[in-house]
Amino acid sequence: MKQWWLRPGVRVVAALLLPFAVPAIITALIWALPGDPASIICPPENCGGTEILAKRWGLDQGPVAFFVGWVQDALQGDFRNSWRLQMGVPVAELLWEAVPKTAMLLAVALVPVGIGAVSGSTGVLPRVLDPLLYVVGLVPAVVLGLIAAAMVELSYGVASFEAEGELARLLAGAAVLGLADGAFSGAVTGTRGLVRAEATQRYVGVAVLRGEATLSNMLPNVALALAGQLRARAIHLLSGAVVVEVILRINGLGDLLWGGTLLQDFGVVLAAATGFAVLSSALLLAQALVEVMVALHIRRSPSLGASA
Amino acid sequence: MRRWPAIVVAGICLGTLLAGAAMAPEHLSQPVMDLAYASPSELAPFGADNRGRPLLEYATQGARVVAMPAITAGLLVMLLGIFGGLLRCMASAQANTWIQGLSEVLGALPRMVVILVVALVLPPESRGLMPMAVAWALLSAPGAMDEASAVAGRLGGARFVEALRAHGYTAARIFGYHVVLLNLRPVVVRQGAEVMMQVVFLEIALSYLALAEDQPSFTHPDSLKSWADLLNIGYPSLVLEGVPTQHALWLGLVLVGLIAVMALSVGRAARAR
Repeated sequence: MKQWWLRPGVRVVAALLLPFAVPAIITALIWALPGDPASIICPPENCGGTEILAKRWGLDQGPVAFFVGWVQDALQGDFRNSWRLQMGVPVAELLWEAVPKTAMLLAVALVPVGIGAVSGSTGVLPRVLDPLLYVVGLVPAVVLGLIAAAMVELSYGVASFEAEGELARLLAGAAVLGLADGAFSGAVTGTRGLVRAEATQRYVGVAVLRGEATLSNMLPNVALALAGQLRARAIHLLSGAVVVEVILRINGLGDLLWGGTLLQDFGVVLAAATGFAVLSSALLLAQALVEVMVALHIRRSPSLGASA
Repeated sequence: MRRWPAIVVAGICLGTLLAGAAMAPEHLSQPVMDLAYASPSELAPFGADNRGRPLLEYATQGARVVAMPAITAGLLVMLLGIFGGLLRCMASAQANTWIQGLSEVLGALPRMVVILVVALVLPPESRGLMPMAVAWALLSAPGAMDEASAVAGRLGGARFVEALRAHGYTAARIFGYHVVLLNLRPVVVRQGAEVMMQVVFLEIALSYLALAEDQPSFTHPDSLKSWADLLNIGYPSLVLEGVPTQHALWLGLVLVGLIAVMALSVGRAARAR
């Protein structure tokens, strides 16, 4: 791209639109399906008079009115009430409880991923370990989650739902997320491949001849790709968080989304999916920030002509 | 790994999956309480559940639940990956940018969130693993297309095609043999195999989560059992003394391993020269 600000600019716009696009798409999907939305969410054989339900849930005014009203309320921190999961309880209360736990889970799960990325790029983990890493990476989150849940239950018993046990479940969940589904092995091999490919560039050889450190020379050039990889891995972790939170009984956003989906609580699903969209937006903004910082660094660095 | 061992292993794993799916009974057998918790030595080949029903039926029904959706998702990703690679060879300079853009947009949200939204909006009569498998494949496709496009780009893209045309080769030979079979094959087959594996793991995860909440699964009717049921039966043996269901847990883990080995060997078989 010719303009350096275009790529981060697009990301910022995408980050701002994503939390609105997600509920819009879900709302559109509900109305796009054959039949009236209230019947889809709660079939008449289960719920009886769907006209009354449609009025209570705000579905009787059409998709645009529903979406606009929901967004207006959400912007004021009111995500309306749960329809079925915890009937009548404000969804905002459930969200405020869930979001910090998922954010914490994600942050701790990024530690093994970060360790993998650093050890991969510095060559601490030799390539001979790649087959082992790959095999470990094949284990799905549900299997590792079960093992972690059993370990926590055996270690803490009934006390696993007290403060210390909850912390243990969070840490175990983060470890599962960081290792399962190729998160750790992907971080090692992904960053190693990137750094090794960059190290073959001519300017790195010139930097070595000039007695300069290779990492500081390469970093501005690989930072963008590394930031992209890290964001993709963080989103992958968020996806796995749904499974891990339910198995390890962590009351996070994934658990909330699952509960809402299972009981067809459209209000909870709309809010929880928007919560995930907000987390994804934060990751997009972080990537845009890295891109801006790299671009500014490159522009502030002395040109080759000046150094010569 | 060389090609033939990988092909043999992949064939055995895939054959086992399909044979299991074909053998699956419509319903589980009637309970035989005398055989409750029977070990594999007492009721061959895999033992029985807490009501004396053979675990073999769980394994075959689970194979039936996942086989066709997983294969469909894998094939869909392979087709779209080939399409991405061919697009690059057709001198469509903007195609790569569009594919990357699509990949960014679809990759901006966690896949599981999208799958759960799909599960929510599907009418009860349309529920099953197939729509979720197709959704998963569509979410995975831009990545596969991007990778295939990169391979085609490294090959020379349109210039490679022009060079082969100059040799007088037909379009079928250029695209079908040289581009797809010789060059895109390793990437698209590996991507397809990985998506197959992911769909199976997705089914196990969704079914297990539903079992954990004592709710029916989104992925299969109540008359069928998933491999997640094996994990659910076996899990208490990890945390409670005197629950003799380790054999169910091991069977579940072996089946998960079978799918992982299948994906690995299919990828290897396509890659090895």
